[in-house]
Amino acid sequence: MKIKAQMAMVLNLDKCLGCHTCSIPCKNVWTNRAGAEYIWFNNVETKPGIGYPKKWEDQDLRKGGWQLKDNRLSLKAGGRIDKLVNIFYNSDLSTIDDYYEPWTYDYGKLASSPARRHQPSIRPVSQITGENMDIKWGSNWEDDLAGVTETGGGDVNFRGLAHETYLQFKKVFMFYLPRLCEHCLNPACVASCPSGALYKRDEDGIVLVDQERCRGWRYCVSGCPYKKVYFNWKTGRSEKCLFCYPRTESGQTTLCAHSCVGRIRYVGVMLYDADRISEAASVEDEKGLYPRQTDLFLDPNAPDVIDAARTQGIPEPYLEAARRSPVYRMAVDWKIAFPLHPEFRTLPMVWYVPPLSPLASLADADSPETIIDRMRIPLTYLANLLTAGDVEPIRLALERLMALRSYMRANRLGDVQDDETLHRLGMTPEIADAMYNLLAVAKYRDRFVVPTTHRETEVEPHEFQGACGFS
Amino acid sequence: MMNTFAFVIYPYLALTAFVVGHIYRYRTDRLTWNAKSSQFLETGALPVGIILFHYGVILALLGHAGGLLIPQRIYDAMGISGHSHTLVAYYAGLLVGNPAFIGILLLLYRRVARTRIRATTTMNDFTTLALLFLTVGAGLYNVLFGHYEVLYTVAPWLRGILTLTPAPELMRNVPPTYKIHILSAFTLIGFAPFSRLIHIWSAPVGYLFRRLVVFRRRTVRA
Repeated sequence: MKIKAQMAMVLNLDKCLGCHTCSIPCKNVWTNRAGAEYIWFNNVETKPGIGYPKKWEDQDLRKGGWQLKDNRLSLKAGGRIDKLVNIFYNSDLSTIDDYYEPWTYDYGKLASSPARRHQPSIRPVSQITGENMDIKWGSNWEDDLAGVTETGGGDVNFRGLAHETYLQFKKVFMFYLPRLCEHCLNPACVASCPSGALYKRDEDGIVLVDQERCRGWRYCVSGCPYKKVYFNWKTGRSEKCLFCYPRTESGQTTLCAHSCVGRIRYVGVMLYDADRISEAASVEDEKGLYPRQTDLFLDPNAPDVIDAARTQGIPEPYLEAARRSPVYRMAVDWKIAFPLHPEFRTLPMVWYVPPLSPLASLADADSPETIIDRMRIPLTYLANLLTAGDVEPIRLALERLMALRSYMRANRLGDVQDDETLHRLGMTPEIADAMYNLLAVAKYRDRFVVPTTHRETEVEPHEFQGACGFS
Repeated sequence: MMNTFAFVIYPYLALTAFVVGHIYRYRTDRLTWNAKSSQFLETGALPVGIILFHYGVILALLGHAGGLLIPQRIYDAMGISGHSHTLVAYYAGLLVGNPAFIGILLLLYRRVARTRIRATTTMNDFTTLALLFLTVGAGLYNVLFGHYEVLYTVAPWLRGILTLTPAPELMRNVPPTYKIHILSAFTLIGFAPFSRLIHIWSAPVGYLFRRLVVFRRRTVRA
């Protein structure tokens, strides 16, 4: 057993209001530079939709992530030799038009315009060429289903569903999906980098690009199935989300999580067995990937795990944080959080609580459908997004969330508690109270349990300048 | 005098710039050490042009090394006469020179014609491309129309430069198109460390041997 610690995040989609507040501080701090204008380490997409860059989830097109070929785990875009032979041209790379061409305006023209009958107007100007341009896509282009009747058919999460039905006005559904780097346990971007510039930090699993070693081969950009490694077109190097490590090292949470007005984000430490990574990523049945990833996580309260972790040099603050990890409770204890597209086989570490939704039809006494089946967002859609199509774990999570609501309602109104439902779903009043506390009232210190790092104990830290994600 | 400058002093200046320049650049400016790929902005003629150019030029370099650096007497000992050597060099030159030249024409066209690419191209990039165009173009011209015997003139001169025993008189009667090819090539060599060509040294051979997923641990004081 090789124990490693990993920073992880859970986003409760049930509470995301799609305000994009998370994206703004991230943008202002990390990607507010020439060449990075189009880069959003954190962006919020509306589902259904094809997202940013276009169709990032469609790996038949994008060739990101891993595949199981002849029972062996390999990069979908091709292995080492394949990459070196084709090093001059990366045929799987998306171009900037799949994201958007960055633009600005000549605001001075508004002030210098002579008096006219109508308000002066200005045209968008490309930040690459300086010429007038038409805006054709963006990081939130499909906000609140804008244009979904055109693009929705390209959303791979409709697999097994008649997407035309769900794009009709009467049946339509939507929810928000904030996205950032998954800081995967089996990162395809790291494996794709010919230069060895991308790496996982041993102490907390954060994936970074060594800016001094990046030679701009671009295979990380095409290799990441989430399209969360970006190519800076000005510097010719790749950049990606740093999980705000300069903040997390001092015990603060990430900017996206800190700024979230809906308080949907949770950050915590997970302990996992690094010896079983490739085994967990190589499960033949895609539906087995989610449960196998959950099995990788070690119980931070088990004495043998604590002993082994101490022997292997995991610092005490990490063990303490792992014991109080909100991520562990939601992902492992309560099983209400799920990885995004586990079928990409990267073992992602930003997980999502699936959203409840309004009921689409009235109850029919004869129908075997439960309240979960009558919700507007089809279970299959959520399952395609979060469990490689297995609806049962999603159903259980939504049932638990519903049971929690009934429990709290009965509590408030002094009704008789339906202990049987709680029991059937593997819950107790204590668990329900704990869930309520974490999901509804948790304060900063409960939502973000981030251990501090002792950088002062390091040898020659200045030698790592430029090698840690930004320059 | 001009001959000595062009074929003794200038090559050594270029080689010095090449060696010192690379060391200096690597030590002071590692952040811009990359291929400066423009594929992300626009593809267009890129896939065809870049593949033709790279494979053409790499094979041409290997051909030059094999043909010029190894003395003809070694080939003679191996039973390859000067005549057959030249014949092989001619056809190999056609085979790799043409794709390299077509490739560079396509890349040059893309640089100039595509707005996004032109807007992100620096003078340095244009200089690099122009030198490559001149070197490859003159090289291909010599293969097609030159038919000058280089085995006992240019080749020993080049070996003389590299073994620090320069013999500029060997270059005196070499036709001008060969001189252009050689001088632009040495200009390119001297300019290389200050251009995007440094990415040649980053050919990621280590990728074949390393673990796919890399972890990095920082050294902590005991």
